[in-house]
Amino acid sequence: MCSDTPKQEPRSRCTLCPAGCELRIGGPGAGGYQSEPPMVGGAGLCPRGLAIGELLDAPGRIRWATRRLDGRRQEIGLAEAARAIIAAAGDRDLVFFIDGALPCEQLLAADAWCRAWPRAKLCVVLEPAERELLLGTEASGAAYLSDADLAGCDGFLIVGDAFAANPACSRGVFDRRAADARVAIIVIDPGGGSAAKFATCRVAAPPGAELAAIAELARAAGVDCPPIAPPDGMDVRSARSAGLALAGCKRLAIILAAEYGRGGAWRQIGYLAGRLAGALGGGVACQTTGANALAAVRLGPRLAAISLADALARQGAAWVTVGSDLLGMLGIRGREILAAGAAFASRSTEAAEFVMPAALAMEVGGTHILGGERQVCLDAVLPPPAGVLEPADVIGSIARAGGVEAPGPTTAVGTLSRLAAAAPSIPAGCAAAAAAASPVLMLGRQAADAGCGELTAHASWQSAVGSPPSVRLAAADARRIGVKDLDMVEVRTGELSVRARVRIDHALDAGAVVLPEALCEARAMCPLQVSPATEAVVASPGTVNIEAANDYASQTA
Amino acid sequence: MITQARQPEIDKRVVIDVDRCVECQSCAAACFAGHARMPAVSFARAGWALLPLICRQCKAPACVDTCPAEAMVRDEAGIVRRRLFRCVGCGSCAQACPFGVISDSLAGTPGTIKSPGELSGHQISKCDLCADRLAADARAVPRCVAACPSGALRFVDEHQAEADGLLIIGGRSAADHLYKRR
Repeated sequence: MCSDTPKQEPRSRCTLCPAGCELRIGGPGAGGYQSEPPMVGGAGLCPRGLAIGELLDAPGRIRWATRRLDGRRQEIGLAEAARAIIAAAGDRDLVFFIDGALPCEQLLAADAWCRAWPRAKLCVVLEPAERELLLGTEASGAAYLSDADLAGCDGFLIVGDAFAANPACSRGVFDRRAADARVAIIVIDPGGGSAAKFATCRVAAPPGAELAAIAELARAAGVDCPPIAPPDGMDVRSARSAGLALAGCKRLAIILAAEYGRGGAWRQIGYLAGRLAGALGGGVACQTTGANALAAVRLGPRLAAISLADALARQGAAWVTVGSDLLGMLGIRGREILAAGAAFASRSTEAAEFVMPAALAMEVGGTHILGGERQVCLDAVLPPPAGVLEPADVIGSIARAGGVEAPGPTTAVGTLSRLAAAAPSIPAGCAAAAAAASPVLMLGRQAADAGCGELTAHASWQSAVGSPPSVRLAAADARRIGVKDLDMVEVRTGELSVRARVRIDHALDAGAVVLPEALCEARAMCPLQVSPATEAVVASPGTVNIEAANDYASQTA
Repeated sequence: MITQARQPEIDKRVVIDVDRCVECQSCAAACFAGHARMPAVSFARAGWALLPLICRQCKAPACVDTCPAEAMVRDEAGIVRRRLFRCVGCGSCAQACPFGVISDSLAGTPGTIKSPGELSGHQISKCDLCADRLAADARAVPRCVAACPSGALRFVDEHQAEADGLLIIGGRSAADHLYKRR
């Protein structure tokens, strides 16, 4: 399956973020498989990677096809499930939402099936903000930096909580700081994540104002950049002083994490960041969910796939998710879907009439882009359990039941070269989240979980420490509400509410509330806008009410 | 063989560089996975920081002296550890530890640790420096250190630390950049 171009990687690697940390699988013992860092020479393994071993053989794994009958799940055979899916679809078109974090070979194979089937459309699902960010960095022409490259840089601009998105990238920053204590570490993160605590200069920008902050910073650093009117609440002076601190850099690293629900200017942010890094001799490091987001974006023009915005607009079509938890990721509620191919229960499998077992990304192996632009071919960590289909085969089995005899022609992955993307238009102004009386909800990435938690939330350590979830509050907001550290609160907007334990965060500005990005209920609280014309899917910060919930029932829940 | 006689203590320590910890909790997750879901790493909040608490391997361990079941011992490798089938889960060691690194509620995971019907429900977990890894490979380091992505946790010889440019503070904290920017 693997072309000659990518280098074969002999070691097992985690593919839940671009760091691609080495891991080894132990067991199976009494507690099943487990992953752990290598004995010698490893560069760390965060809780996401440590969860992989357990998930390969977890008790909650979906191993059989099921259909919903009178509200209960009934096991059926795979072939029967595929036939029943076709029968239930009737004369509707089918849209297959496949997880963009899968190896390239899986995406190409899925595309081949959909090309041969006129009523089927393929949609490669990536985190919307991350896709936009990568399109921007591709258009900027900036080099991509690996974690190892960071130690050789002489200035850092961090956008979002990059240290939570990929804890391994912090090592290079700290190594550089150990060699040069005066190195500038500039952080733009309205969510006040873990990276903000290590900033030499923190740019005070309200949610949604990251683009204006980067533009102001770039101009102060002497880089040609169109002016963007800053929104109310942005501290322009801190952006300018940060720009001056970076002006003398010979190799600037910009580390980007595009968290969900932070607004819609990520393509422009990626573009401006890439231009700024390029002008100062450096590059960008995009810390995405899943190792293969950049590969999926680069593969895009070779696939006959429709955009996520286009796919979501096809309300009359029958939706089939494969690998991705579409409904959980976008916080969509009340939408029935026809079928879901998944390894674990998720919002999508709950809403699906049919569920088919699908292998995990690390069980199929294939071509990835890891650590900057290093194209590698990874072996499967372990083969999938017996009877569990590879993701592309889930689509293939349904296509065969629909009368497709064979997939269309498939091509080798080849070299995944930079996308010829057009430069995005830069707006004249930047609309930040309104400073209302209600706190503004943002979602923050956590090192414990990947994506919307459809995978890692099933691991035992994540289950233990993630329940109840934590909500980060500024000290002033906590005083106003009348709660203290570890108290329970209810975060509410409209009909939606989340009970969470308070963590007072001194790095957070008053008026901001941060819930974990891996919490589907929290994602549903961020207003989602879909625009097929611009292919934009934008989740914005929402406003919420917070009430103390220190009653006996909530403490014992 | 393990005896209650005074053994020489191990020279190596797990130390934390407080200016590198990004609070990812990889150390706790690695300990949890590697020790049958009985993690010996807990956390304490200190101002802005959430720092892992890991056994200091004391020269005169109070946990060994106080254990009524002789479950806590210093083994032949010099590691202070708990003997699995002697521990009765009384919590004396947790009470005696002057540094609070032996916890009877264990890092906010009491539901897992105290699950009824499991042996682990009656035991206290204690860091053994991942003796299985150290025995398997002389170059190996404990799981928490190997899992630390930022390089905050290090497994250092206390006699060599200064030569390596590390400042050891209070026996368990190290810094190559101590609070310069805070």
